[in-house]
Amino acid sequence: MFTSFRQAMAWLHTWFGLVLGFVLMAAFFFGALSVFDREIDRWAIPSTRIEPQPMPSFEQVLRPAFERMQPTRAAVDAMRSRVDGPMPEHFDTPVSWSAYTTHRDPVLSLFAGFDVPNAKDPEEAIWAEETIDPRDGRLLPVDQLKVGSGFFYPMHYGLTLDWKNLGIWIVGLSALVMLAALVSGVVMHRRIFREFFTFRPGKARLRSVLDLHNLTGVVALPFHFFFAFTGLLIFAATYYFPVGHTQLHELHDLHAEAEARETGLPHQRAGVAAGLANVDAMVAEARRRWEAKGKAGEVGFLWLQHVGDANGHVSVYRAGTDRIALVGDAIHFKASTGELIREEPAATPVGRVAEFLTGLHLQHFRHWLLRWLYVFGGLTGAVCIATGFIFFVEKRKRQHAQQGSQGARVVDALAVASVTGMVLAALGILVANRLLPEDMVGRGDWQRYAFWGSWVLALLHAAWRSAPVAQGRANPAWREQSAAIAVMALAAVLLNWATTGDHLLRTLAAGYWPVAGVDLSLLACATVAGLVARRLWARAAAKSAAPMATEAKHA
Amino acid sequence: MSQVSTTFVQPRAARLQIVARIGAAVLGGYAFAWGFVAAGASLMFAAGMGFHDAEFLASLLGVLAFLVVFLWAIATKRPWWAWLGLLGAGGLLAGVASLVQAALL
Repeated sequence: MFTSFRQAMAWLHTWFGLVLGFVLMAAFFFGALSVFDREIDRWAIPSTRIEPQPMPSFEQVLRPAFERMQPTRAAVDAMRSRVDGPMPEHFDTPVSWSAYTTHRDPVLSLFAGFDVPNAKDPEEAIWAEETIDPRDGRLLPVDQLKVGSGFFYPMHYGLTLDWKNLGIWIVGLSALVMLAALVSGVVMHRRIFREFFTFRPGKARLRSVLDLHNLTGVVALPFHFFFAFTGLLIFAATYYFPVGHTQLHELHDLHAEAEARETGLPHQRAGVAAGLANVDAMVAEARRRWEAKGKAGEVGFLWLQHVGDANGHVSVYRAGTDRIALVGDAIHFKASTGELIREEPAATPVGRVAEFLTGLHLQHFRHWLLRWLYVFGGLTGAVCIATGFIFFVEKRKRQHAQQGSQGARVVDALAVASVTGMVLAALGILVANRLLPEDMVGRGDWQRYAFWGSWVLALLHAAWRSAPVAQGRANPAWREQSAAIAVMALAAVLLNWATTGDHLLRTLAAGYWPVAGVDLSLLACATVAGLVARRLWARAAAKSAAPMATEAKHA
Repeated sequence: MSQVSTTFVQPRAARLQIVARIGAAVLGGYAFAWGFVAAGASLMFAAGMGFHDAEFLASLLGVLAFLVVFLWAIATKRPWWAWLGLLGAGGLLAGVASLVQAALL
């Protein structure tokens, strides 16, 4: 079938890139947005537009909040089929309590797991999740969709297709194909180094599209490779190759027992009730120990295991804001007495590699320039894939027009939907977020519908306008959707002003960057999209004028 | 490249070969990678590495191994042999993993 390795690689690059490129567009674009997911959350939930807060006092804020937590009705109903007999009215035995925050979070996420009497799998717990204001413990309404961390971020790694983790598998396969596309892309091009410096915007359309594809692919090659690779690694042990939970679970259990003996952290409850010593004192002791080692001392994750039991322990994890590696530096205390059980030793060499690679991808560090470089890297990837689509279409559309084939037309319509359509969907959810009434029932769901609805409309529009492609011309949907992006992005900024009063002059003057940054990014997006739309319109006008001019000459 | 793009219009045998090739790369490659990760993790654990370290290192190498066999399965002249080779090697490696586990318990 192939006469050479290079030809096989070209085939792989073209066809796998085309089919899974649509998924990769979403992974790159929403990945770039996720870099600032907490900031997008602030824009979307105006009541939380306050400065980031440290982990609050356990005794004053967290404890009352945890004691009040119960699983939602929906969670109880979902669990019902996995329990013998009726579900209890109230869950009395917390398995674990935990609280998570980062240096960019003004709100705090709380998680509580409860023992379920008569559960078919006795290990299975039922979970409750809440977001609170850490200053006073006030509960945030569940319907406040965190558009950044609760929607764009899951879209990045799993397309929000939760059924059997299907989305995570599709994105995983796409990440592998991204790696394969990078390798095959390098194999296809003999003069890879020259492409670093080659962009000929004035040349024939096909050539300049390919230049841009090569440029964005090659310049950010290490970035693309690392992110696809580390993304796969982050999920490898949990989803893609869960050998420790399946084939080798006996080995894993063996290790867990040995580890429990070595660390002194009990795996099971003792079944003997016990009280809880002052947790704030344990946190203070943990911070003192970090400080003695010269490490920044904010708490990122606080975890109480086997709550109310003699085997209970309190684990304090550090927020790793001062390094790339994703570190925990956990310190564990006995819950009933507050005495130190264990301070995690320095990581092994393999552990350090793991911490570095996952940290590089997940960015818990405090470094704004590096964060922006991540955004540009992600957008570069999106441009690389988008130009790949355009090159595919441009190369074939005249040939297909002569043959009467619809191939280029279909691919072009899908490309419109996955490039401009995806941006419209992201703007759709932001606009809906500002337009829907604050006290609306199911407000979070309606925002999601706005996202998918905008995307479906963009696809339908692209398909409806696609006829010219079958005649070798451009789809007007490109310029029309670019114009729509400009309008929607501007509308989002204006709606934010109208509904919250936080216009740019105010947020900039106050130095409140989460909202100012989102607004400025929206304005930049509107500007770029507006310029593109104008350019495409001018080009279309020139094209339609040209044949008339030639006809006039003939006449 | 333009030759490659027209290879899509082909007789049934060639189309079947494309399906075989893609299947070998994706499914055969996954089976091989699973065996690789399981064998790697169990062997490194047996050699004294902590379980999660062994699991991580085996996954890291396993993903790279998947990438290599993926490219190979696409490029090889005989996709049916790629199927056989990848499933065989994957099964063999998974067998090694289970044997190592049985020996350690």
